[in-house]
Formats: sequence, C-alpha cells, structure tokens
Amino acid sequence: MDQPKPTNTDVIQGTLDMLILKALSLEPMHGFGTARRIEDISRGVFKVNPGSLIVAFQRMERDGLIDAEWRQTENSRRAKFYTLTRAGRKRLGEETADWARRTAAVARLLRTEG
Amino acid sequence: MLDPLVALWRQLTRGLKRLVRPQDVDRDLADEVSHFLDQATRANIAAGMNPDDARRAAHLALGNRTTIEEGVRMAFWENTVSSVITDIKYAVRMLGRSPVFTIVVVAVISLGTGAVTTIFSAVNAFVLRPLSGVADPEHLVGIDRIEPGEAGGTQATGPYHRFISARTRTLSGVGAYGKLDLTISTGGAGQAVYANIVSGNFFSILGVRPALGRFFLPSEDSVPSAHPVVVVSYDFWRRHLNADSALVGSIVSVNGHPYTLIGVAPPDFRGTQTPLVTSAWVPLMMQPQLRPRADMNSVSGSFLWQFGRLKEGMDRETARRELVALTAERAAEGVEPPWMKKNSEIRLISMTGLPDDAQKVMLAFTSALLAAAFLVLLIASVNVGAMLSARAMVRRHEMAIRIALGAARSRLVRQLLTETLVLFLLGAFGGIAIALAATRALEGLPLPMVIPMALDLSLDLPVLGFALLTSLVTGVVFGLAPALRVARQDINSRLRDDSRTGTGRRSLVSNGLVIGQMALSLVLLVSAGLLLRALDRGNRVDPGFDSAGVLTTTLKPEAWGYDETRARTFYQDLRNRTEAIPGVTQVSYTARLPLQLGSSNVIVELDGGPPLNTEGPGGGTRIQMEIVDAGYFATLKIPLVLGRDFAQTDGAAAPRVAIVNETFVKKLWPDGVALGKGFVLYKERVTVVGVVRDAKYASLTESTPALAYFPIAQQWRPEHAMLVRSGTVGAEGALVTAIRDAVAALDPALPVPAVVTLKDATGYVLFPQQVTALVAGALGILGLILATVGLYGIISYSVSRRSREIGVRMALGARAGDVERMIVREGMKLATYGVLTGLVLAAGAAQLIGAYLYGVSPLDAPTFIGMSAVFVIVALLASWLPARRAAAASPLVALREG
Repeated sequence: MDQPKPTNTDVIQGTLDMLILKALSLEPMHGFGTARRIEDISRGVFKVNPGSLIVAFQRMERDGLIDAEWRQTENSRRAKFYTLTRAGRKRLGEETADWARRTAAVARLLRTEG
Repeated sequence: MLDPLVALWRQLTRGLKRLVRPQDVDRDLADEVSHFLDQATRANIAAGMNPDDARRAAHLALGNRTTIEEGVRMAFWENTVSSVITDIKYAVRMLGRSPVFTIVVVAVISLGTGAVTTIFSAVNAFVLRPLSGVADPEHLVGIDRIEPGEAGGTQATGPYHRFISARTRTLSGVGAYGKLDLTISTGGAGQAVYANIVSGNFFSILGVRPALGRFFLPSEDSVPSAHPVVVVSYDFWRRHLNADSALVGSIVSVNGHPYTLIGVAPPDFRGTQTPLVTSAWVPLMMQPQLRPRADMNSVSGSFLWQFGRLKEGMDRETARRELVALTAERAAEGVEPPWMKKNSEIRLISMTGLPDDAQKVMLAFTSALLAAAFLVLLIASVNVGAMLSARAMVRRHEMAIRIALGAARSRLVRQLLTETLVLFLLGAFGGIAIALAATRALEGLPLPMVIPMALDLSLDLPVLGFALLTSLVTGVVFGLAPALRVARQDINSRLRDDSRTGTGRRSLVSNGLVIGQMALSLVLLVSAGLLLRALDRGNRVDPGFDSAGVLTTTLKPEAWGYDETRARTFYQDLRNRTEAIPGVTQVSYTARLPLQLGSSNVIVELDGGPPLNTEGPGGGTRIQMEIVDAGYFATLKIPLVLGRDFAQTDGAAAPRVAIVNETFVKKLWPDGVALGKGFVLYKERVTVVGVVRDAKYASLTESTPALAYFPIAQQWRPEHAMLVRSGTVGAEGALVTAIRDAVAALDPALPVPAVVTLKDATGYVLFPQQVTALVAGALGILGLILATVGLYGIISYSVSRRSREIGVRMALGARAGDVERMIVREGMKLATYGVLTGLVLAAGAAQLIGAYLYGVSPLDAPTFIGMSAVFVIVALLASWLPARRAAAASPLVALREG
C-alpha cells in the first residue's frame, strides 16, 4: 500500500513475518524492540518499516501465530507485548526450512551462471 | 488441531469489535504507535541525539500515522463490511434528500413487485406448494393409472388397491381415498359436508398425527361395516362441534347412523384435495353403508385415488416401473374388464391437492396471468430505469467532482448501485405489503362453487423469496446501466459545460423506453378489453333455457342414509309440498344442472344406425345424455317442438322413453322423423316420445351435441337438483325459506339445504373469464398509470432541458400556444409510436388468449380502437401538462436559468 523510500535495505518482500517470528522466538517483546532486534541481528542491513510492522503484528495476532498483551510500562503508559504461540513456533520452523531450501536453490542457480 | 479454530475465533471477535466499537480499537492502535515513538526517541537519545532531534528522527522513521492506521484498517475483512454499511448509510441519506423521487420510485417498484408476487402466490398455492400438514411431502406421490399416451385414466378399484398395496416394495405404503358426501349431526339438523372414505393407513402414510383422540386402528380397516368411526377436521370441530373436546369418543350421527367420533385432525392438515374443504374421514370398510353404489369389492367399480410414500432412497422412476409391472400382473389375472386393462401406464404426480390434469390447467392459467404481471413489472422497471437515468444526469456534476477529487470509478458505480438496490429493496417490501392485501382480498372473493372451497394464498417462504429475488434482479438489471454511464463519463467535459442539450443517443434510449412502456401497457389494456368483451358476450349468449326466476337446491339422499325407495318417496313428497307453496308455478328435478362443464356420453344402437359391437371399439352411436324429471322443459322454458313431455306415468316399470333435441334428429335421422323411432340403451328398447329445442348443456361455447333426455324415474340417480320456478321473476328470494321448511318438515334431521338462484349456480361457467378479466383489467390500468407517469416524466424532463430554447423562441415572438403545440406534438409522436408498436404486440398476445374469448375475434376492432383512443387521450394529457407549464414560464427566467 504505502511504499516509503528505504534509507537502508528494506526487508526482503515476504520475509517480514518470518523475521518477526524469529525475533519473538528469542523473547516476548513490544513493537519497537522487535524492530530493533531485527536491525541488530541483521547488523543494520534490514530496516523495518514501523507501519508495516504494526500491520503485520495485527494480522499475525489474528492468525493465532502470536499473542498480544497490554502491560504497564515504567512511566505508566500502556505497551503491547507480543509472545510467540505454539502455532507461531510451528510456522517459524516451516518458514525457516522453506527459506533454507529456496536460498540454497538460488545459490546453486547463481553458481552455475558464474 | 485447535489452532485454526483459534485463528477463526480471533478473526471474528477482532473484526466484530472493530465494527461495533471502532473507537476502542483506534485508541489501542494510537497507544501502540505512541509507545513505538517513545521507544524510538529514547533509543535515539541514548545514541547521543538531543531530545528534539531524537523525537523528530523517530517521527520521520515512523512515517505518516494516518497511513499506518489506514493500513491496519484496510487489511481485514471487516473493512469490506463497514464500507458496504457506509454505502448503505450514504445511499439512504442521498435518497432522503430527494423524498419525492424516492417515494415515486419505491411506489412504482412496489406496484410492479406487488402484482407479480400476488399472482405468484396463486401459482404457488395451486401448483407448487405441497400438501400442508403432512410429514416429508416430497416423498409423497399421487398414483394415476392411465392409458398409454392419454392424459386421462381410471381411478382405482378396491381389489386393485389391495393388490398394489400388498405387493409394492418401493413404497412404504399405498393409501387410498374416495369422495363422500356426509351429513353429520349431534342432534337437530345435520351439517352437509364433503368428506373422504379412506384406507386405514391414510393418515399414517401422510404422517399426520391427531390433534385430539386417535386415527384408525388396523381392525377398523379389515372387517366390512363393523366399525362405524369418524375423524373430523379441526375446522369442523371448531365451527360445528364448538371445539368441545368431550365430544371425542362420543356418538354422532353420520348419514343417520350412529358413529363414534374417534379423533380430530390437526389444524394445519386440510385434507388431500385442497382447495376443496374436506371435513371428515371414515374408513373404507364402511363403504356399504355410506357409499352403497360404489363397491369396494367390485373389479370394475373404480372410485379411489391412490397415493404412496417413497421408501428411503427410492426414486420416482423406480417406483413407477414397479407399479407398471404390478399393474400388468394384475391385468394378467384376467378379472378386470377390458376397458380397465387398457390403463396399463402409471403416472406419479406431486401431491398438491389438485389432480394432475387440474394442475396442468391451473399452471397454464396462472402462468398466463403471471406473464401479464411480469409485463407490469417490466413497465415499472423501465419507468424506474428512466427515472434513475434522469437522476443520474442531474447528479453528473456531483459525480464529476467526486471523480476529480480522486474517488475510484468502481467505488462510484458501487455507490450508485447500492442506492438502486436500496430503492428496489424498499420496493420489495412495499410489493410484499401490496401482495398481502391483494391475496387477503382474493381469499375473500366468493367462489361460485357448489362444493365448499377455501383458498389459502398465504405468503410463505418461497413467495417472499420470489418477491425479494425478483426485485433485486430487476434492480441490478435496471440500475446498472445508469450507474455505469455516470461513472464512465468524461470528467473534464462534464465540469466544463453543463450540457444543456442532451446527446442524441441518450434521448433515443429514453424515448425508446417510453415507447416500449406504452406499447406493453397497451397490450395489457387490449387483452383486458377483449376479455371484458368476451365476458359480456358470454353473459348474453342465449343458453336455450330461461334461468330467471328459478331457484335450485342439490339434494343428496345417499348422504342422509336413504335407500332408493325412501329417496323416491322423499322426492315425490318434496315435489308435492313445494308445488303447494304460494308463488311457485313449476317444480322439477334434474340429475345435473346445466352449464357445470360436465357431460355424459353413452353408446346406443340406433334405429337405422350401425349395430352395437359389444367386443372392442367401433359400432353403435355415441350420444350425449341428460336425466330429468317431468316438467323440466316447462320449468326451464325449453320449448317442446314435437310430441310430449315426460309424465308421472313414465315410471320405473313403464316402457323406456326418451326426448331428444333438434340436433339429434338433424344429425342422426335425416328424414326428420323422430317420434316413434328409438334405440337400444343398456339392452333395453327406448322409444322417442318428444323433440325439444336445442340448448347449451355443459358450457356456453360447446357445439350443440346430439342429446337425449331420459326420465329420472327410469334411469335412477340418487342425487337430484330441484328446480323451482317462481311466478314472478325477482320474487323468488321469498321462496327460499319455504323450500327449506318443506325439506325440514319431511325429515328434521336433514341438513339445511343451500337454496340458490339458477343464475348463480350456472354463473361459474364464466368464472375463469371473470377472474382473468378482473386481473387483466387491474394490471392493464396499472400499466396505463405507469406508462402515463413515464411519458409525463420524459416530457417534463425534455421541457426542463429545452427551457433555454423555449425562452429564445418566446423572446423571438413565439406565442404560448405555439410552444404548447410544439411540446404536445413531441409527446404525441412518442405516443403514436407506442400505440402502433402496442397494437402489433397486442394482436399477437390476443391470439394466445383466443381460447378464452367466447367467439369474440382476437382482432376485435372496437376493442383495439377503443383502447388506443383511451391511450391517446391519456398521452395527450400527460404531454399537455408539462407543455402548459413551459409555455407559462417567463422567457426571461428561462434564459437566465438556462
């Protein structure tokens, strides 16, 4: 829908859900934490668009992949914490395997051409 | 395995929450975004930025908040729902802003839908709807035994019914029922009712449970004449037994015999012959007592209708083939008479109350009416289509602005279509309301039937579904085109000029619509006119007898438990008593009233004709017969041409005599000599003693048959219709009570006879014409009104668009009269095309109803000319009104506004 100009590399199309699942598999986090974690692990290669992230959270919560919970923060504001569910963990496993198969195939393709 | 359920649950609850409490969801989202911003700002500060820069950078990274909110909103299913709701709200608001338009359009759609729904409810009641009050009606089948390739067949005999019933493997049971006239009494005068004599399994196969008491036991179905028991309908129990449940188990009088009232049928079960009112049921085993002339053990006495219930998983075709095989097996036993064996085919029909041939007649009849109603709906829809187009033209500026502001065209089409659908939905509700009122009125129409009938035209689910579907389909068909046209327009040109002159194509389309409307409604008007002419002609056909001043009542001594001897004495006594009533000049009896659409044929061996062939077809002479008492011709004023009338001396023991009509002599004895000649009927010599003038016998349209009258004393029939001629025409009403008293004086237990004028009793021969003329007339007038509204609308619209031109003309010196003439001429041009097209179509439609026209030509000039004239006058009025208004407008105003 909205396509903001990326300053860093944008997250590869279709991988945002997998990255969120991975980040949340480490520990339950709120939105900014998740974005930060993805950027850190990718050493700043991927920059998560906050808008896309929040929409993705809503969708994944509805699909039962993650649970959302409102918590009070230290400066007494409401913050939403996301936790991976059993279905989410299963999905992460599937997507990881699928991703590995795809990247291996792409790598092979590039090698033959080279 | 629970995970998909969790996901589904969340989709539902989250979506509904957003629909119901959008503000809560929006606040949550705002909180989440704020928290994100806080965290990002704090991280930026930690990375060494000053607070202001940190906040600005965080905002920048986040992007537009509204875009995020929009993104969340668009992502889920409830978005579609809420936008549809928004569309509907907006549509309602827009329609509310032009209330006159809305009311007119809804009224027009309501009239169209109402017409169609009313007629459809009749189709539904007569042909489509299964029997009410039975279990699982789709597995019930009526069993007709027919001659291969023929529509007609024979009813079942008792032995045939028992044979089939014992052997079928495809049906879980075969039930049988026959007609029966009963007189039920709990003391005092009895109630004459129509009833059925039924097999013991009748109720169990239908799956009907008693409201009170019980139905028949197996023992009551096995021993002849041993168990006098009766079941009555709920309606009978309520009306005539005062809804007294203590009467169940008590003794009531049935045809003069004591019967135990064992049960009351449930209120929703109205018998197997709806719309006939069946009020009671007795077991077949009581046939010797209640229907002595039928014989449940006779191999040729067919008086039963059969039906069955398909076993689980069994289809009709399998069952039909089995029944054909069983019928062949039965025929092979060799006991059935040859004419019955010919009926070797089986037809399984849906049980709707009507027999198969009547179902077909009603289907054809009601379909024709339905087609006429659809014409009205078409006219109404075309009208609405034209109004929507006109409104779309008015709103093109609004639409152009919305497109210019970025609204998607598909969105506008959806919006316009929603408006149209809301209109048609409102129209559907209006139509249902009209249909409710109309069916109520139709149910209340007095039916000119001798047997009690009860129409149930209630709007059930199929009818309501039909109304809604019809409305929505017409809505889409007639609303889509204007919507698409608006959305497809070129915005720039629309915004620039306001298009004062219509494009040629568009006015061509709307002119075409108006011409079409007028043509269609002229078709309806001409058809209605032809039917009215036919009705008038039918009323004036000379039936060959004089019914004015004659009263009649039908007497059924079998239903009172009278045997032949007692009945003969009763009829003689009643005749004597009635003749003694002051004011009565003539009394007679007939076995059948004239003009009841029924006739009887017999084959006789005629003097000078071919010999009778007892085996196989051919031989003998077929003649039509009527059975009457002495004085019949004098009572009905049928002139005796030659010879003598029947006399009291032509009794059961006297030599057989007959009186023939003139056509009989003309056709069968060309030498003109009839008196003294004769024929052999039922192996007895019959001598012709008189010749009478021809008359109408079964219907007004029949070609006169060769007919012989026989004295009722020699060809005994228990059922008599008494005919009583009053000395003064018009005074016969005063005799009704005296005739009733005469019957009651002879036997106070008899039901009070229904005494009616012969005019009323023979009136229903014209009933189909009356109904058709009534319905077609109503539809025709409706069509005329709608077409007039259409023409008025199009002329007004054209006037409003040409106001500038008219202003110029008037400024240049045209007088009001010139302008009026110009505009009226435009309207009349359309009307002329409409009338011409309509006349051609009407000529075609008239051929279709030719069968109902009683000799009125389908191209009857007075009707065609008269209806066209009505049309032209109305069209003149519809175009003169806007013309006068245009001519009255000040040219200055017109020029300024233009």
